[in-house]
Amino acid sequence: MSSAATDASQAASSGGQDVSAYVIHHVGNSDSWHPLPGVGVPLGGDFHLFGIDLGLSLHALMLLIAGGIVFLLFGILYKKQSDRAPSGITNMLEALVLFVRDEICVNYIGEKDGKRLAPFFLNFFFMVLVLNLMGLIPLFSTATANISVTMGLALITLTMMIIGGIVKNGLVGFFQLFLPPGVPKAVYIILFPIELMGLFIKPFALTIRLFANMLGGHIVIFSLLGLIISFGWFGVPSLALALFVFFLELLVAFIQAFIFTMLSAMFVGDMMHPSH
Amino acid sequence: MFSAPGLAAIGAGLVVIGAGVGIGRIAGSAMDGISRQPEASNKIQTAMIIGAALIEGVAFFCAVLCLLALNK
Repeated sequence: MSSAATDASQAASSGGQDVSAYVIHHVGNSDSWHPLPGVGVPLGGDFHLFGIDLGLSLHALMLLIAGGIVFLLFGILYKKQSDRAPSGITNMLEALVLFVRDEICVNYIGEKDGKRLAPFFLNFFFMVLVLNLMGLIPLFSTATANISVTMGLALITLTMMIIGGIVKNGLVGFFQLFLPPGVPKAVYIILFPIELMGLFIKPFALTIRLFANMLGGHIVIFSLLGLIISFGWFGVPSLALALFVFFLELLVAFIQAFIFTMLSAMFVGDMMHPSH
Repeated sequence: MFSAPGLAAIGAGLVVIGAGVGIGRIAGSAMDGISRQPEASNKIQTAMIIGAALIEGVAFFCAVLCLLALNK
């Protein structure tokens, strides 16, 4: 794989033809990391286990770095002060944690179970938030714009939905969740498969939403910058537009982390405490 | 007559129409609700964001399909 700088010059030489290929290449996963133009760090892990490629890729590295950042924030920078009001980064983290615990977990899962499951959803929130924000920093790449990453996150939600449903309602009660009361018995023949499909469609929707939001936003930014390659100096005003979309992406990074956590909590809460 | 990128672009436009109408209706109704009952604005806003996110999910799904068609 050639470096980013030569890619850009190739794209410039052949006009706007290669811009779209260049954009797609840059939001995708790869085997090497380009922190700066012209600098390529090969991650080249050719490590196969049971026929599955488990070598380190760019997005896997981003996941590890995000884990490190979250650990740094909560393991080292967070200082618990029970005698006086928190300040600095501790204050910011406590505000976010309280928001997730009270507005998301307790709201959708219930007082007791919500507080018990709060660490689980806090993991979701901060992991997705850090991954989204890392995608907006030039050094890093967006791991949440990779469908495998978001599917992995959504599979954790699916597992939690199934485990939560079985633990709270029992095995028989779990399957009764798919038989809503108040409908004629004959309708169950159609309704049961549909409700069972709903169990898998919910995490699938979570997957697509986060993946497409992050991918879409980054493609828009790249395409606006690509106008410069297509139109030369006349494309320079698109920088302002790209900056606007960048700030929109900052907002979207927070909103998507919030939505992912909230919908996960809602789905898990529905399985644990069926309203119908 | 139509090329694949052109059709993908038209598809993306249709997705925007659908999602715009859907999210617009949700936001409009939320505005109505909030102006009638300002004290319930927090709950209405949360419900609005959930509904908008669900519509947005479908819209993005279609947008991804358009993107896949574009790269064929």
